[in-house]
Amino acid sequence: MILSGWESVFFWIFSIAAIFAGLLTVMARNTIHSALFLISSLVSVAALFILLRAEFIAGVQILVYVGGVMVLFLFVIMLVNVGSEERGSEEIFNRSRQVTTSVIFCALLVGGLLYAINVGYEGLQKRDEVAVIGAAGLRVADEQNLPQAATGSSRITRETERVGSGLYRYGSLPFEIASVLLLVAIIGSVMLARTLKQEAAVDDTAPEILQHEAQHDPEIAKLQSTIAQ
Amino acid sequence: MQFLLFNFLYPTFGLLLQSASNGRFATAWEKAQHPDLSKFLIIAALLFIIGVAGVLTRRNIIVIFMSIELILNAANLNFIAMSRYLQDTGNVNAVAGQIFAVFVIVVAAAEAAIGLGIVIALYRNKETIWVDEIDILKW
Repeated sequence: MILSGWESVFFWIFSIAAIFAGLLTVMARNTIHSALFLISSLVSVAALFILLRAEFIAGVQILVYVGGVMVLFLFVIMLVNVGSEERGSEEIFNRSRQVTTSVIFCALLVGGLLYAINVGYEGLQKRDEVAVIGAAGLRVADEQNLPQAATGSSRITRETERVGSGLYRYGSLPFEIASVLLLVAIIGSVMLARTLKQEAAVDDTAPEILQHEAQHDPEIAKLQSTIAQ
Repeated sequence: MQFLLFNFLYPTFGLLLQSASNGRFATAWEKAQHPDLSKFLIIAALLFIIGVAGVLTRRNIIVIFMSIELILNAANLNFIAMSRYLQDTGNVNAVAGQIFAVFVIVVAAAEAAIGLGIVIALYRNKETIWVDEIDILKW
């Protein structure tokens, strides 16, 4: 695809925003700032998705990532309360030798990837140049033939329809497996986040563990005596 | 505004760059005005590497999780860009990339839920989230 005009302006704005926000995610001292920079990076990438005519994925990205996953992250950050720890002089990165090694590794990775993209892309371009340039004209003609909706969103509706039908036509088995995966994730996270007190309250712990913990924690001792009655 | 941009700003910069460098920068500027698949791939590669650097260098386990989200997002950007490219070259089943991106988002959400559950359990038992202090499986 070849973007032009305002699309290219927005491409540069959002890609530079995504990369800078990503960098600040990794480098911010406060974890909450990190999370907020990650949110802006994700929103910029969602804007890039819209430039690539994937409006449905952009919407899913905003709803699931920003609305769901990042809110979860912010809750956990506030639960484990690390903001106050990091405001001191404590170093946020690992040991300096480890950081040096990983930065060298990443620089090599940058060089390799950019080289591979540049070399590989030339061949691809040579093969598909005619089709890509022709497709730009075809797309403009196609969009002029769309039915006029009151909100002017015919193209978005059509693209979403294509993704939906493709999801059920080519990916119905992975779709079902994904639902099982989400169920496992729900049960697993509930299991992991439960405290010993909550486990003891529903009588779900081994008696010897409860006995051991009751020696340190008076509340669990109280719970244990109520269970014993 | 658009008139100003296309008839004045772009040619001015183009001329400046061309006179300075025998036209090498001018071609680059011409390419920058029309981003294609390779630009998207490069942006995705840079995001991926920022994520890898975050995983390797940070001590805070939550920031490491966020870097993993960044990596998955870079992969998504690649999928969507390739999907658009296939649509333009007239391929069959060109929404496969977008479908795959949906699954990547599902897996990322599940991973975040489980991972943060582990972080909470860990913090409750060890009172730390620095990864260099969490180096045993049983205590």
